[in-house]
Amino acid sequence: MLPNTEVRVPRPRMAQSAPRDITAEFTKAASKLNTGQLVKDETFTLFEAVGALEIMDSKMDSGYIAPGENLAQALEDDYDVRRPLTPEEVVGLMDQLLCHEVAWHKGHPLSQTLFTSIYLDKLLWPVPRTMEDARFDRVPSDSPLVSLVLRAYCLALVKACDLVHVRVATEYYYEEEDFVSQLYNRNLLSAFSISQFHHLLDQAVTWVSEQTDIDQKLKDAIHCRLVFRHEFLSALDQDIEVLETRSTANFSSCITQLQPLTETVALGKPVPEAFSLKIQRKLASTVPPRPMVNVNSNDALAHLKRLCQDAIDMQQMLDYTGPSNFKTAVWTLLSRKPQPSIYIRCLLQALIVSNMTILGVVPVKELLSDELAELVLPANILLEANTDEVEVPSDPRFQIAQKMDGFMKRFAQPFVDTVRCACLNRCRIRRTVCHTLIDWDNLQMEAEEIDLELRTLSGEPPLQFQGGEPTWSFPLSSWAYHQKLSQFRLILQMGFELSIYSPEELPGMYWYLSHICSTHLGHIDRIRTFTVAARKRDLMSTGDRSGNSSQKASAFHRSFHALERLTTHIIAVDAFAIALHALYVVLSRHKVLPFASSPQAYSTDRLRYEIRMKPFIPITLPELVPYDEYQREAALEGDSDTTILERASKAIAEARKAWEATLANGAFIDDPSGPSQPPPSAIEEDWKRDVKNTMRACIGTSLAIEAVKKALSATSSHGGKPLNLEVIVPEVGSKSRWHDWWVVPQVTEKKSKA
Amino acid sequence: MDHDQSVHYLEGLLGRTLRIHTTDTRMFVGLFKCTDADRNIILANSFEYRMPTTSAVQAAADKESWGEGSEAKSATIKVNMTHRLIGLIVIPGRHITKIELE
Repeated sequence: MLPNTEVRVPRPRMAQSAPRDITAEFTKAASKLNTGQLVKDETFTLFEAVGALEIMDSKMDSGYIAPGENLAQALEDDYDVRRPLTPEEVVGLMDQLLCHEVAWHKGHPLSQTLFTSIYLDKLLWPVPRTMEDARFDRVPSDSPLVSLVLRAYCLALVKACDLVHVRVATEYYYEEEDFVSQLYNRNLLSAFSISQFHHLLDQAVTWVSEQTDIDQKLKDAIHCRLVFRHEFLSALDQDIEVLETRSTANFSSCITQLQPLTETVALGKPVPEAFSLKIQRKLASTVPPRPMVNVNSNDALAHLKRLCQDAIDMQQMLDYTGPSNFKTAVWTLLSRKPQPSIYIRCLLQALIVSNMTILGVVPVKELLSDELAELVLPANILLEANTDEVEVPSDPRFQIAQKMDGFMKRFAQPFVDTVRCACLNRCRIRRTVCHTLIDWDNLQMEAEEIDLELRTLSGEPPLQFQGGEPTWSFPLSSWAYHQKLSQFRLILQMGFELSIYSPEELPGMYWYLSHICSTHLGHIDRIRTFTVAARKRDLMSTGDRSGNSSQKASAFHRSFHALERLTTHIIAVDAFAIALHALYVVLSRHKVLPFASSPQAYSTDRLRYEIRMKPFIPITLPELVPYDEYQREAALEGDSDTTILERASKAIAEARKAWEATLANGAFIDDPSGPSQPPPSAIEEDWKRDVKNTMRACIGTSLAIEAVKKALSATSSHGGKPLNLEVIVPEVGSKSRWHDWWVVPQVTEKKSKA
Repeated sequence: MDHDQSVHYLEGLLGRTLRIHTTDTRMFVGLFKCTDADRNIILANSFEYRMPTTSAVQAAADKESWGEGSEAKSATIKVNMTHRLIGLIVIPGRHITKIELE
């Protein structure tokens, strides 16, 4: 018997008993079938059959060789890999390979990028068993530029791909959306150690420096390319060990090398004949033949530079300073535009959490416990009880600890997933949150059960509001509800970023955003009320000023501070949403808002509402707003244009103030007890830029509101004419779209027809 | 063979490994999944086999003579057909030259 670990690959069975020729029988039997009749495997569906590649069809069959094409030539290129190359050609080849490497990083398959290189094909097939085997030809080229320099470069490049491939393939990514992991039965030299590649590169560097007959400029050009390879390999090899090394040295020197590399691209002479699509005929591939992908040098180098810079900046989030800082840093870094490359996103996933540990040091449970302490349970018995101190099972503290442990086990993973989710591509983030929203709805209900049990164990006294029923804090479910409301907000805002909503939906969607924000603000008020009460109780019961109570005081202080920051931020979002809602209502009333759907379209407002609310329909809390109520509220029925615009002006002024306050609060909560460390600058700068862009969008909104006011007063004095306004809704990525999450219309006076 | 017998015969082949040779001298080996009156054949998990190219034969011969010295001149050299996985394929009946059952 084979051990379980042994993987059995279906081997092509050539050496079995001699096959029997059944051509005649088969042909005769098939000819008896009726036209259109199929003989097929029961489990085989026609749907599957559609996916079959048609042999002998040039568009489908990658192995097809046209009649008249010379077989040998069709499969093997005439290109001689041993031929001597000029230094210019070596530089050109290195840069072409680099472009293909980046194209692969960007999500194109190897078959259309690196595996079109005849040099790489020769290195990797047949699969080399030793480094010595990995060469262009059995008899090495006489030219060291080829047999040493280019070979070292190619091998190091392949090894770099191997490291990227391993990292990406072990994390969460979307095949073909983010990355194509297919290797076509080739191996990326994974068995060989980095030192072997470094050794070869060093040899090549030395050889180049010793040459006297190569122009100095070209020597430098080749030199910086080899050094880049060396450093890039070291940088990728560091991988998650960066948690220990905390070294940015390799990535920094990659960036240093990219400078001269960029400047010398022009020296290279491309060798297009060294790349061929014919190699696809030899790759194990279940897809039709596809064209070569070409990324130009500028884009490729810019991509690599960004990759290195992202990797360097990533360092700034490796120190854990509490859950809210951690979440902000992760989200900010991953929201960079363009989004960090798949390698960076996968590396971050591994750093964020592996083996239930955050950033390699903090257990996931601790993160959750910190989060709860920050938001709902400062200095609370629920978090402080543990079974180590109290060992009597009948003691309520023992039971509390057990219950809390169960809660932690259940919630730690979903919680950390909400953070890690930022590593997906932008569309997937929104999609994933739409799905996890339902999980969180259930989690909230579970948390409520646990809250009820804990309440009796901890003997929490209820609060009584004027004439109302006694109310308890429900800390865990409160926290879960807070999570859910944040996800609601994210789904809506990502909807704007991903251009999901058409212009005519904007009034309604901004109304809904503000609706969610005000619900959230109400919820935070509730949390705060209970924390204030807990603090009061705490002060009453502990008369003495011991060290313990000062600890408690700072825990409460932290919590109030976190709630305050959160409130400021949500008020800012809310006010801005109210202002845009009001503005869009007026534009829509006067029919100057562009329309995406034609008047004859099947879609109606009700259907559109239904489809936008789809992620929210299964959610029990907050309840879905019924369409009729939504329509009344979103259209601001009964309010005059002037009233609405006044409201818009007020709201946008408030929004600007709140965003300024948010900016002043800063990206991160400083830990007063911690050592004064240098602030995480690059990520913080990104965060600030984001808030400043939002403020710019606020100003843009003010201008738009003023323009509408002016046009409105002009019309009213001229009696009932349509508004003389032109409204453009700027697309994501365009200059006038200050922020992805804030669709600010450009409102201008229509030019009078001359 | 009448109609029913033919269907019966072909159904008996389903799921078995067929080797199908095509007009361009390639051979495809895979699991028989489906056929019709035009003898179009669908194979799953199939491999494509191709005769070695002259240069590959030459290379093998070189290797042989390198290793064995001068005495290997008359020896017949063995070169494997090159193969690769290509998955689910449909081979149009008009391109089929030979069908073998493993």
